[in-house]
Amino acid sequence: MPSFTWDTMEEKQVQCPQCSEIFSIYGNPGERKVISCPHCQIKGTFTFSTQPPSKDQSAISVTNLKKTYGDLVAVNNISFSVKKGEVFAFLGPNGAGKTTTVEMIESIRTPTAGSIMILGQNIQTDFNSIKEKIGILPQEFHSFDRLTVRETLEYFSKIYKRRADIDEIITAMDLKTKEHTLYKSLSGGLKQRVGVAIALVNDPEIVFLDEPSTGLDPKARREVWQVIAGLRDKGKTVFLTTHYMEEAEYLADHIIIIHKGNIIAEGTLNELIQQYGGPSILTIKNCTHPGIISLLQEKGFTVTNKENGDISIEIAYKDKILEILSLLRHEAAEFESVDVHRPNLEQIFLNLTGAKLRES
Amino acid sequence: MNPRFILNDFIASIKHWTRSIGTVFWTIAFPILLILIFGSIFSGADDIQYEFYVQDFDDTEYSHTLISVFENISVLDPIIVSTSENITDYMEAHDIPAAVVIPQGFQETIIRSFSDPTASVNITYYFDPSQATTTSVIQSIVMNTINEFNLNLSGGHHVIGITEHTSQSEEFSFIDFFIPGMIGFTIMTSCIYGSIERNTKYRKDGILRKMLTMPVSRTEWILAKMLFMLFLSFVSTTVILLFGVFVWGLNIHITIISIIIIIATSFLFSGMGMIIGRFVKDEETADMAGGAITFPMMFLAGTFYPLNQMPAFLQSIAQVLPLYYVNEGLRNTMIYGNMDKTLYNLFFVMLFAIGFFAIGAIVTKWKED
Repeated sequence: MPSFTWDTMEEKQVQCPQCSEIFSIYGNPGERKVISCPHCQIKGTFTFSTQPPSKDQSAISVTNLKKTYGDLVAVNNISFSVKKGEVFAFLGPNGAGKTTTVEMIESIRTPTAGSIMILGQNIQTDFNSIKEKIGILPQEFHSFDRLTVRETLEYFSKIYKRRADIDEIITAMDLKTKEHTLYKSLSGGLKQRVGVAIALVNDPEIVFLDEPSTGLDPKARREVWQVIAGLRDKGKTVFLTTHYMEEAEYLADHIIIIHKGNIIAEGTLNELIQQYGGPSILTIKNCTHPGIISLLQEKGFTVTNKENGDISIEIAYKDKILEILSLLRHEAAEFESVDVHRPNLEQIFLNLTGAKLRES
Repeated sequence: MNPRFILNDFIASIKHWTRSIGTVFWTIAFPILLILIFGSIFSGADDIQYEFYVQDFDDTEYSHTLISVFENISVLDPIIVSTSENITDYMEAHDIPAAVVIPQGFQETIIRSFSDPTASVNITYYFDPSQATTTSVIQSIVMNTINEFNLNLSGGHHVIGITEHTSQSEEFSFIDFFIPGMIGFTIMTSCIYGSIERNTKYRKDGILRKMLTMPVSRTEWILAKMLFMLFLSFVSTTVILLFGVFVWGLNIHITIISIIIIIATSFLFSGMGMIIGRFVKDEETADMAGGAITFPMMFLAGTFYPLNQMPAFLQSIAQVLPLYYVNEGLRNTMIYGNMDKTLYNLFFVMLFAIGFFAIGAIVTKWKED
């Protein structure tokens, strides 16, 4: 029985590799624990980080934030916090209040009500000192057309007291071959990479990226994602607003879904799927076995038989997939293919609002 | 205050400017083109002669005398038309703007009028209404000439005579008058449009939002941009003066006050541009708003011709236009050397500069609603 030191004890959420169940474990810094999944009982080990958790893990703390324009409530009394070192995604359709919120945090807009703390400092009173610690890529940012990439970075860098090495940024952003190219001659993806690079010229602790991949083609979008993933690896806190659910799924450690100015869901991707996504669906395509549906129902599965011969089965845990496949094999059932559809953020948004993320 | 940022931004702005061949070309070529066009039009005003046609059905000593009076007027070039021609057909066929027909019996009626005061004869003036500007000038001259002729015939004599002279001193030509106006006009357009671009394009591109989140103040940003606008103003002024001196033989003096007026003018119109840029959201509308202010001011503020040639109510309007005081201030210090008028106009330029720049700086905002 391990003894806990209460002021350094840490809670960690872990996900079972077998059945995807998420559960909490507790331990001290550096402690190695044997853990067991409460659902499928599979055993494993987990080692807690040697670094004790700091007293204040919040990079950003927002409390009761509100923004109204006359009768229109753009942001409705929302509260959340962003942990240091995580990629935090603010996901929602256009007009949901994402940019209004991030621009209030960046002090570009004045809140109607509420408080915002960045790195323990109040933005209303300490924003001048906060400016040195944050880097921002505004929405639809377009830099000076006729300065080169290097000149642009040097221009913005010289505004700060605290400066990162421009050469390192150019290398990290994979802009070496374009450093002497005029900004206006860059592709959309490269311009966004330069925009992210500009946000890094002061080696900020928090990087705000407002819709960084909007308007880019899929290849350029992937390139920008790689850059953002690299920021997390460097220990930066990233506040990302996006209406692309793939972007949030790919990058975010923590996701908030905002709709019509209200937070409608919050958590890690797995938490959101567990809580709001509903079951995964296994689809057996073109199955000709006459009795397979009743066999599955006898085993407790919820089964839908579609007109085209496809059979859809709701599955709560991954081990149920093996059970179904075993049954098909045992019955020598013939079928074309088996697909498993795991709920995604699009499905979650649909479940929560009745609307599709892209159509809202 | 962060002078390092101001210098950094100034250098970046110059790099940005010099890399657009089109922008540099038009900054230099625009005033030169205007000088060439307007200079050619107005500086040749002394050589203008209006052709007009005379058909003499009387063909007597008195009718010849009247024609010789027309010939003696320097701006008229009378041409005799044969009496066999139908004058209206002839005018239409030869695109003639105006003609005078002296009727048969012209001399006889005049002689008879010495004993019979009721006797009179009419000279007919024909004109083409589609050429209204030219014909109104000719008509005015012809009427004055005939009045003079009448006066002499009726035995009156002149007590008061008029000797015509231009309003300018002999040592100054039209181009000397015109060049200071061009300097004022060029600074006005570059500063107003420059400010509008910063406040609309940079807002749209997110640069103002970005600046708001960086350790640079709005004052530092505005001063940095003003430094660049002053640079552009002096580039334009230098180009105009060099062109004026080498192409038109300009007779002009660069004074300390002229430099002060140029600096104040840059602040004045940059402030005006900031005000426009603050209240107009998109670039296209901002350009139109800029044009709506600069073009009327260009014509109404005595840029191309002396204000006293305009109707009285337009002269009154000019008194409230900042460009009028800029033009007059520059002319008085650079051409006429009239210190009293220079200081009078400088006072108004400074007043407008402080007012517009202060309002512009106050209303320019980075924060979004």
